[in-house]
Amino acid sequence: MKKFQFTPRQMLSAVILSLGIIIAAVPKDTTTPYKLSAEQILEEMKSGTQYLHPDLIAQMLVEGDPTLQLIDVRPPAEYEKYHLPGAINIPFDDLLSSDYQDLLNQGVMMNVLYANGTTRANEAWMLIRQLGYQNNYVLTGGLNYWVETILNPQPPAATSPDDEFARYDFRKAASGALGGGAVAPVEQQSTAPAVIPRPRPQQKKQAVQGGCS
Amino acid sequence: MAPFVVYDIISENTNLLLAFFIGIGFGFILEQAGFSSSRKLAGVFYGYDAVVLKVFFTAAIVGMLGLLFFSLFGWVDMSVIYVNETYLYSAIVGGVIMGAGFIMGGYCPGTSFCAATIGKIDAIVFIGGMFLGVFIFGEGYPLWKNLYMAEYMGFPKISEFFGINEGIFVLLAIVAAVLMFWGAEWAEKKFPREEY
Repeated sequence: MKKFQFTPRQMLSAVILSLGIIIAAVPKDTTTPYKLSAEQILEEMKSGTQYLHPDLIAQMLVEGDPTLQLIDVRPPAEYEKYHLPGAINIPFDDLLSSDYQDLLNQGVMMNVLYANGTTRANEAWMLIRQLGYQNNYVLTGGLNYWVETILNPQPPAATSPDDEFARYDFRKAASGALGGGAVAPVEQQSTAPAVIPRPRPQQKKQAVQGGCS
Repeated sequence: MAPFVVYDIISENTNLLLAFFIGIGFGFILEQAGFSSSRKLAGVFYGYDAVVLKVFFTAAIVGMLGLLFFSLFGWVDMSVIYVNETYLYSAIVGGVIMGAGFIMGGYCPGTSFCAATIGKIDAIVFIGGMFLGVFIFGEGYPLWKNLYMAEYMGFPKISEFFGINEGIFVLLAIVAAVLMFWGAEWAEKKFPREEY
């Protein structure tokens, strides 16, 4: 009787196949922690990786990047007055309401939280980060800084390095595309406490010029 | 525990250094497997040489098995591994263009550089064409921006998309690979070429 001999190929196929059968029998890994510990949150906060600069967000908005989801954590009234293009409103008070969990705890979009400043959005980020939610970020400086950098960019000093000027040119262009100068409509100027810092008139003009050039 | 997260475990420069060595290893394997010959590469479409199919599918199933076993042993944290974004339509259109270029030019982007390194003129021309394509894409971006960005699906794995266990998907891929290798060897015997 002829002795049956495995060729190296058959041997390799058999090894790989049996490894595949073993791995298919292993249940899904559930050992990864769902919630983060206070130490882990502190580590992340120290590294500051949750902050995204307005320049990056402006670029994503101009490019029409579909992965970006802006989330306004201010009260609905302030959201109604002004919000960034495409932003949705999840008021800070209702952050943990079950209506919004699908939006905050997901793996598809890049959520960027913002408020008027950094603090409120960062608090919201800390809370949902502690729940183990991923893909959430904070807009550095909030709307105030947004208006300062994107909507009303200041020309750099004549002695500034070239990349300062490049950044300024980008911001001027983004300002035009994202409605710089339209931040504070005329009606709002008479109404009482403004939610967002209004640009001064001469700056407003400047921003529009920049956008058109 | 792997992966060595940049800024956390290793510095950016160490990362680049590692990438450099991995790149050399990748190029070595490509060249060693004969991937710098466009005739060999095109052979997979005509059936006389299936080495491309065999090498890449072997790499894929070994990689899949390795990741899952390492994850099982706690050596690698799968939750922080980068998964490419999926834009469905641009992936399909890009795949068709890349496949057509592959059949016509006889190289894929990686192997064209590999072949250019050993002085193949056709590979250098291929690289020129590639940069031309990059240029056309960049200059005409507004024209295909909508298609490019359409149907964004996040970072799905096939197993997640179909809702099956990762291990079972790997087993299915292995079975498919073994069957394909078998079919490929049969095709190599069926459509042989003497010299290429």
